[in-house]
Amino acid sequence: MIPILGLAAGVLLGLFFDPTVPVWLQPYLPIAVVAALDAVFGGFRARLDGIFDAKVFVISFVSNVVVAALIVFLGDQLGVGAQLSTAVVVVLGIRIFGNAAAIRRHVFRA
Amino acid sequence: MGASLLDAVLAETLDPAYAQAAASRSSGGGPPRPRRWGRVVVALTMAVAGLLVAVTYDQAAASVQGRDEVRAALVDDIRTDSSVTDDLAAQLESLRSDVTRTRDDLLAASAVGQRARDALARAEESAGAVPVSGPGLLVTLANADPSADEDPVGGGTAEEDPREQVQDGDLQLVVNALWAAGAEAISINGQRLGPTTAIRFAGEAVLVDFRPVTNPYEISAIGDPDSLSAEFLASPEVGALAVISQTFGLRFEYAEEERLSLPAASVPELRSAVPAGPDDPAAPTTDPTPGG
Repeated sequence: MIPILGLAAGVLLGLFFDPTVPVWLQPYLPIAVVAALDAVFGGFRARLDGIFDAKVFVISFVSNVVVAALIVFLGDQLGVGAQLSTAVVVVLGIRIFGNAAAIRRHVFRA
Repeated sequence: MGASLLDAVLAETLDPAYAQAAASRSSGGGPPRPRRWGRVVVALTMAVAGLLVAVTYDQAAASVQGRDEVRAALVDDIRTDSSVTDDLAAQLESLRSDVTRTRDDLLAASAVGQRARDALARAEESAGAVPVSGPGLLVTLANADPSADEDPVGGGTAEEDPREQVQDGDLQLVVNALWAAGAEAISINGQRLGPTTAIRFAGEAVLVDFRPVTNPYEISAIGDPDSLSAEFLASPEVGALAVISQTFGLRFEYAEEERLSLPAASVPELRSAVPAGPDDPAAPTTDPTPGG
């Protein structure tokens, strides 16, 4: 319950204060969001599996976001930014989908 | 674990670190974690995730909105400016007719002036500076209709065959053939062709005298309709164009018209003028200065 409250508080904070993001960071926001979603879904699934661990969750979240943004940044420097973002989105998308399916099996027993 | 990379990605959707942590906990290897601290950090991390989502959403929405606003502002600018242009053109027209009237009044006062006026009238007629009307030929050129088997879903992305569109060369060909057939005055979509008018391509649009004209292109030529159409059709370029338009589905039609009205061409700027001598007022007094 508390994590969900935290998520809601974050969304409200973002919408309410509308913080300005530095221009150089803006291209990496969407990919960071996808990476964050992957970590959140993974944590939720681990919780339903009964193996949730706060330390693993936080580290996986931070490293996911940073690594995803870093890969895209590196790709931009090398001129393959669009392709690398696609690669990141595909891999993370598959993982999100798999975790969502596992959560669904937990929740609906089907 | 799958043999291929995709198998690995598909099979391992959960971070294996969770399982390892659980295993080390159940084996009693790790120290018991402070529960309260963990909860706070998890809640904070979730808040960061929410913040990220909200900020990114804001950004995406703002950029879409910004694009729309810029587009609307540009469209408004275009409308305002083209209405300003129309106003100025109308003003120019009325001022020009004022000048012409005043000039004619002044010239009519003397015999020299009358001769000068007649010479000027002839020159203006051949320069396309006065509106004309009379019988003639109306040639219509139009782009091919979009083919019926084209996929409407993919619309916009499909490459259009450039040969299915009327090109500047086609218009030039028709106009030249009309001049050769004895046309006295020609206009394209109401743009009169003067002696210095160019027919050019700029991107997708055909420019006549640097003003865009759009499909379908109606070329009006004034002259004796019978001889005009006979000579026009006899020219080999027109025959070739007819074959091309049939092959690519261009619309290429012509009709003899009883009465066509052509506007005046835009007057080229005056580059050289010499005071008329009393002995020879009707003689051409132009002395083109290079680079004028």
